[in-house]
Amino acid sequence: MIRVEGLRKRFGAVQAVDNVGFEAADGAITGILGPNGAGKTTTLRMLYGVMKPDAGRIHVDDVDGVATPQRAQERLGVLPDGFGLYPRLTAREHIRYFGELQGISGERLRDRTEELLRMLDMGAIADRRTGGFSHGERTKVAIARALVHGPRNVLLDEPTNGLDVMSTRAVRKIVRGLRESGHCVVFSSHVMQEVSALCDAIVVIAHGRVVARGTPDELRKQTGHDNLEDAFVALAGVELMTEDQWAE
Amino acid sequence: MGRVKPLHQMLVVMRKELKDSLRDRRALFSIAFSIVVGPVLIGIMMNRIADRQRESESVEIPVVGQQHAPAFVDWLRQQAGVSVIAGPQRPEQAVRDRLHDVVIVITDDYAEKFRSSRPATVRIVADTSRNAARPTLERVRRLMQRYSAEIGALRLIARGVSPAGVTPLKLEEIEISTAQQRAAQVLSFIPMFIILAAFVGGMSIATDSTAGERERGSLESLLVNPAPRMAIVAGKCIAAAFIAMTAVVLTTTLSANIPRFLPLQDMGIRFRIGRGEFLGVLAAMLPMCLFSASLQAAVSTLARSFKEAQSYMGVLVLLPMLPGMISAVSTIGQEPWMYLVPVLGQHVLVMGVLGGRPEEWWAFVTAGLIAALSAALLIRTMTTLFKIERIVFGR
Repeated sequence: MIRVEGLRKRFGAVQAVDNVGFEAADGAITGILGPNGAGKTTTLRMLYGVMKPDAGRIHVDDVDGVATPQRAQERLGVLPDGFGLYPRLTAREHIRYFGELQGISGERLRDRTEELLRMLDMGAIADRRTGGFSHGERTKVAIARALVHGPRNVLLDEPTNGLDVMSTRAVRKIVRGLRESGHCVVFSSHVMQEVSALCDAIVVIAHGRVVARGTPDELRKQTGHDNLEDAFVALAGVELMTEDQWAE
Repeated sequence: MGRVKPLHQMLVVMRKELKDSLRDRRALFSIAFSIVVGPVLIGIMMNRIADRQRESESVEIPVVGQQHAPAFVDWLRQQAGVSVIAGPQRPEQAVRDRLHDVVIVITDDYAEKFRSSRPATVRIVADTSRNAARPTLERVRRLMQRYSAEIGALRLIARGVSPAGVTPLKLEEIEISTAQQRAAQVLSFIPMFIILAAFVGGMSIATDSTAGERERGSLESLLVNPAPRMAIVAGKCIAAAFIAMTAVVLTTTLSANIPRFLPLQDMGIRFRIGRGEFLGVLAAMLPMCLFSASLQAAVSTLARSFKEAQSYMGVLVLLPMLPGMISAVSTIGQEPWMYLVPVLGQHVLVMGVLGGRPEEWWAFVTAGLIAALSAALLIRTMTTLFKIERIVFGR
């Protein structure tokens, strides 16, 4: 469970995040939807402890994420925006490295690594160096290493960005699997169709502020638009990309 | 989940960085090159000095016009290490073409002038701009001056005058072999090459694990792990220092084996890196590796891009050259304050060890402590840098 209240962050003259608050429940996928530059990534970065908020409160389960970011990080699995891998290490070595940093070792780490490789269908690429991986394969490695310590809460910052159709489907399958096993999943995207197809709850962010939140149905009612796309445009005051445009 | 120990996390980071960089073939190649280049260069230079000395010891002197001065030629032949050969047709051209270092030309009127006790002309054709020819020229000139003096003395005796009367000064040359000096000069490069190995050794891993990691975008993922920044930074610095230390050990080992391949004894040069000297060099150098690696990592962290970091590394590599260059121009003394300056202190210590006059133990301890303290300070600074969002996420 993740709860955020009154989160603020300013970069120079730009108020990137302005009083953002939401709650993400266990066993549900919470979508953070907003156009590029709306403050999604900054919000998530504060959540997973690599940026310090100017104000606001973060709770990951019952841990204070502002006062003790490292304890919150133990409960979080994170796929950052524009993540990178180590091209000279194999997929398996990536998982083991993060596992060891999380304090897992020996047989437990070996078992967990095998489990993740199986779960993400990575058997064929497990012992290859990631230098030559496709974007989809790289995403799988990044997700696997983020999940190595079995976190209850998973943050995915635009995980399907730049993926082809097959890889996007694979990621969605992984995300649904996480929900089914009771995880709290927060999933950011600027692609509306994706969020509406996948998420149980949606938080719409524009210009650093939460402009709407609720289930897809609630959002439709709230705006009076039957069409979700029109609903978002009305909410954000900004043209969101449709999946067709984005795929081009 | 139980709390993870920062020390363990530091070791995990260190192990990963070492594994990662040992797979970087290009970096390994440049490290191997920096390890080998110093000892090999020194070996080549020493060999040339030895060759040249051997050449000037047994010298072949081409003499033109031998028929005019048979007595002089016989005298030359009797000198140790000298053999006389027929002179070339065109002496000056032959020297210019480097067929001979020196050619002696006995003029046609030599016999006539010699008989009438007037100065007989003998020409020495040589090119003084050629360093390689200088020892031979020097030798030939000395031989001829000696012959001239001997004949002069004999003439005086024949006229009933003591030669002592015309020799107001008795010159005594105490020869310090130039070859030996030059060899000592060449050997004085060894400390510089050892320090250089430390800098080149740590360079690629220091940039790759900081500026490189940020540029690849893996830094943010790394920082999401619940590890104190200090543990991550220290792991990276120590990994770089470890490679630097390995480079130092290998360079010192290679340098220690130089005498095996070179006839230094024949040249009368004492050069030995025995067990004691080896340990002395390492005692001076290993703490410095912590400093040099941390300095490189800290500078790379400040760089805006990987490329910028690499160009800074190029400048930092000049640092170990400085003491060596200064000592080439003027002798660096061994002032106590020098131990307080990282790199300079180590240079002085290694010079002392290899020169057979190692410093007191407290000098090693002081220089080592200063290097380690500077490294700790740099790691602390880097930890602060790793908390600055502008630096973590690039600018």
